[in-house]
Amino acid sequence: MPPPRLTGALRSFSTVSRQDDFTQEEFDLKAKRLKRQEQFSREGLTWQKIVQFFTQHLEKKEQQAVTQELKSILQCAKQIVGVDTGQDTIESAAVFLFQTLHNKDQVGHEETQAIRQMFGPFPGSAVESCYSTVSHMVTSVGESQVEAFVRTQNGSRAWDRGAIFGRNIAFSFDGYTLDSLDPPPWLDGTDEGLDF
Amino acid sequence: MASAKVPLDEQHITGSTGPAGRECTLPALHPDHKEERCFLPYKPPPVDSSAAHIEEFLEHAHFVSEDLEWLLSLPHDKFWCQAVFDESLQKCLDSYLRHAPRALEPPSCSSLAVAEMQRSVHRSVFMVFLRMATHKESKEHFITPAVFGEIIYNNFLFDIPKILDLCVLFGKGNSQLLHKMIENIFTQQPSYYSDLNETIPSVLQVLDTILERFGLQSEPATALEPLKLTAHSRPTAHTMPQEDLLDLVMYLCDTCTTLHSFLDIFPEACRTFQAHGFLSRLSSFYELAVPDVEKAVRKRNFDKSVQEDLWKRLAHSCKKMVEIAHLIVQHTCLQPILEGAENIQSCVEELLQHFSTFLQEKRFLTDYDEEFPVADDISLLQQAFPHLDETRTSYLLEGVDSAYESVGRKKSGAHPP
Repeated sequence: MPPPRLTGALRSFSTVSRQDDFTQEEFDLKAKRLKRQEQFSREGLTWQKIVQFFTQHLEKKEQQAVTQELKSILQCAKQIVGVDTGQDTIESAAVFLFQTLHNKDQVGHEETQAIRQMFGPFPGSAVESCYSTVSHMVTSVGESQVEAFVRTQNGSRAWDRGAIFGRNIAFSFDGYTLDSLDPPPWLDGTDEGLDF
Repeated sequence: MASAKVPLDEQHITGSTGPAGRECTLPALHPDHKEERCFLPYKPPPVDSSAAHIEEFLEHAHFVSEDLEWLLSLPHDKFWCQAVFDESLQKCLDSYLRHAPRALEPPSCSSLAVAEMQRSVHRSVFMVFLRMATHKESKEHFITPAVFGEIIYNNFLFDIPKILDLCVLFGKGNSQLLHKMIENIFTQQPSYYSDLNETIPSVLQVLDTILERFGLQSEPATALEPLKLTAHSRPTAHTMPQEDLLDLVMYLCDTCTTLHSFLDIFPEACRTFQAHGFLSRLSSFYELAVPDVEKAVRKRNFDKSVQEDLWKRLAHSCKKMVEIAHLIVQHTCLQPILEGAENIQSCVEELLQHFSTFLQEKRFLTDYDEEFPVADDISLLQQAFPHLDETRTSYLLEGVDSAYESVGRKKSGAHPP
């Protein structure tokens, strides 16, 4: 419950605000996660591009192993998004896991949070297994090459390029606080009529 | 993206957005160009610091922050399609203004991660409102001013409560930017002045409600009815439950701070407030409420920290009310007089009338005079308008002295309420 506020009363009493006539329902975390997965699958990197990248950058003799590893990532993704989900969703989740884990030393708090943000609660073992597979794949191709590949794929997103409105506008976080005033009269001894 | 050097409201985009992928041309500002982003409504930080609540807040706020950053990264035309046609975005922004904690409210949880996330959302919300208040972003990206005025008004991108929220949330350190924003909004859409005019009776109603709840003013409907013998007497600041008193003082504090921040940032609104006789209503409210509530806070048996907090909030509210009164006096009378406005005579008359009204409200007058000495204003007035009636000014100055005597204070000693 927010504390009572002037603007709350004005919204209720006056006729100058939009009365709650929104037709659309409010979104919850679950709906938001689904929407985010959908959006992610449309952006930059795709599973096909990842498969292509590793196929092109590895010797033929290593390709069988990498195919197995790619399948293993898909399997982990399936455990995270649920077995009933479609192939597109699983691939999109696999892309997300690859992108999140490819340049990490371990599955830390940040990674766990990012994955949970995207999919909700997930089995930790699936992520650990995915992490070791991704690490092995990255080592076999070379970290810098993988990094360059991921960066190129995501380069088209405006907010990654830093073109954000207001970035150069000075903003102050100061807020109105209680004015510092003299101490209450019962503390400085001027209140003679005190009768607690 | 739409073509340059033509206002956004006149641009059209051709694409395969029609039924069955058919090529069609649509205005650049059209709901079909909006993306289904599903903005989440903002939820304030948790009151306690339990890990689960913190985690929940962070997760939720992260989505809000990320979506607002995305919105700010959109090109001009896409931003406006989203701002105008995405209801989930409007709900998200509105929920932030309604629920974001104000700096003068008691702090909620103490987690650093929460504070950091809150700052990120706070800045992004401000930038979104700033962008929505800007009709010309660059030489290439702009909206016809009159159309901009219609868009923001008809779609409730801004309304008076939102503008007040913006002032109290962001005004302390961003007053110049906010002034420009609000000035632009009111200039391009003068209907906001009518809305402000319509809102002021509700502000006055809030003051009346506070008085009623302090048991200091009868409700109009019940005042005429005889009280039943079995009826309990209405609670007052001295008898109401402690929680209610805390709530009411918080409400008073928020009301005064919000009004002050708005008038300080946008003094052009002072005249609209005064058109409703706001000064006299405010001073009589002060006179009725302050001494009584102050006495209750002093005399009632509270926990020491609660009592001190109540006192500080009440003192802060008093200061803000006095400052509001001065802002109105300054911007409706003093400034026009000093600038040699055409209606100088009527401004002088109005100013003297205000001071005469204050004479009846002795406690208010002394608190006002301590912050903004009436003698200084009279002296300024005499310099700017030498034909001032000396009998009248002497009467006013004597009235101020006598007010000090009535409330038992010495004029020179600053003594906060």
